Amino acid sequence: MANRNNTEKIDFEQALAELEKIVKQLESGNLPLEKSLELFERGVKLARQCKEKLSEAELKVNKLIEEKEGEMGELPFAEEGD
Amino acid sequence: MATVPAKKIFTVSQINTLVCEMLDEYFSDIWIVGEISNLKTYESGHIYFTLKDETSQLAAVCFRDSARKLKFKLETGMLVIGHGRLEVYAASGKYQIILDTIEPRGIGALQQAFEQLKRKLEKEGLFDQARKRQLPKLPRVIGIITSPSGAAIHDMLKTLRRYRAHCQVLLYPVQVQGEGAAAQIVRALDCLGRREDVEVIILGRGGGSIEDLWPFNEEVVARAIAACRVPVVTGIGHEVDFTIADFVADVRAATPTAAAQVVAQGWYELEERFNRAVADLFQVMQDYLFHYEQRVDELSRHRAFEQVVRRLQDSRHRSEIYQAAMVNAIRRHLGVQAAALNLLNEQLSRQNPVVKIRLRQVALTDLKSRLWRALTAQTTNFNTRLERLASTLNALSPLASLARGYALCLKPDGTLVKKIGQVAVSEDVFIRLSDGRLKCQVQDKIRGGENGE
Repeated sequence: MANRNNTEKIDFEQALAELEKIVKQLESGNLPLEKSLELFERGVKLARQCKEKLSEAELKVNKLIEEKEGEMGELPFAEEGD
Repeated sequence: MATVPAKKIFTVSQINTLVCEMLDEYFSDIWIVGEISNLKTYESGHIYFTLKDETSQLAAVCFRDSARKLKFKLETGMLVIGHGRLEVYAASGKYQIILDTIEPRGIGALQQAFEQLKRKLEKEGLFDQARKRQLPKLPRVIGIITSPSGAAIHDMLKTLRRYRAHCQVLLYPVQVQGEGAAAQIVRALDCLGRREDVEVIILGRGGGSIEDLWPFNEEVVARAIAACRVPVVTGIGHEVDFTIADFVADVRAATPTAAAQVVAQGWYELEERFNRAVADLFQVMQDYLFHYEQRVDELSRHRAFEQVVRRLQDSRHRSEIYQAAMVNAIRRHLGVQAAALNLLNEQLSRQNPVVKIRLRQVALTDLKSRLWRALTAQTTNFNTRLERLASTLNALSPLASLARGYALCLKPDGTLVKKIGQVAVSEDVFIRLSDGRLKCQVQDKIRGGENGE
């Protein structure tokens, strides 16, 4: 599971890095309109992907409980009053 | 004293017993202040010492069970306040005070213990900056050690959510005050530290008195933090509260909320970075479009187009000249006719043939209307040509040829719509495309960029 999380994280950071690169490209050069629109579209797509990843970022909270001597189990933790 | 009969002779034991009873009656619950000297701690755990002031001294003892409860270590020269009872040690006939509670004079016992432990661990190097570990930037699994029911866990989870920490929390519920709390915290640190997935641990507790916070000042807790495999962030009590755990921790945050902030900071910054990138993207694209719009504007004012416009103006000017010439010609023509008429009239008036005059008048009217018709036809023809010329110019419009996929939005009166404020909802507009126009009705106005985001 840690591994899957890891992949997600890299994807997000990669997408973000590419997005930032696109912004830099657009900011730096006098690109032809066609090219700038193309980059812009790519940027919007990346932004959308990132946004989706971010909205998935629901905090998961588990409570550790001692099941047997020295053995721990996990249960979803619900806050009191929630 | 009145119960003691006169001239009665006591045995030594009797006297000691009587004194013992009297001391019990009057001195079984007293507080005493004095300075410690002749301090001796025995293997058994009992502590013997002398309490003294400027002029006198008193033997004191603190038995094992009471000694274990002391929150600080007794030292020679220390000024203390003790609670206990006086007792006669019959074997030697000496009396002593048996203390069950001892506190340093001036500062509280806990404070004293705190200072002692702090000095000790500091000397060992447990607080050294070099020991402090870096926190993971984007932790995926966070261990939290705190009470499952306090405000602290609520604050921490709320903060982690607010900071958009994209991670999992493992809560190890512990008692955070009272007997046994320290042992539970030590076990929790050990357990979470052993897990491979846990990257950082928050040790948190809401505010409380020094007694409430005491587990976090225990040596076992301090050593467990120091020994923990992963970095530990403390958020204990309020800003003003410092515990031993805070000194040992890799990062000391002022409160549980602050601890959660420190841990989630990387996630927060990542999202901020993302938001900034998106804002920049839209801004730079807007700049681009503005730049191109300006270029189109500039081109449309280009000399080449001006020449066409000038030519059109020339044509109009020439047409005016022609028109004037035509009118003149017609006037002249009419003048000639009128002169002829006059002549005729003259001749007729001489002959006075009324019928002939009438006939001539009819012919003249006819001639007049023919002339006007011809004049009107000429003018109409010219206007038609003018319109054709104008539409040819339109076809050459820079907007039409340069936009390539751009559309112009025009109001029915031809005004270019550049801002949404120029039109009202349900107002008709024309969208000018390269091959024609769309008549549209404004359904809604959305401010902002392409996506309205």
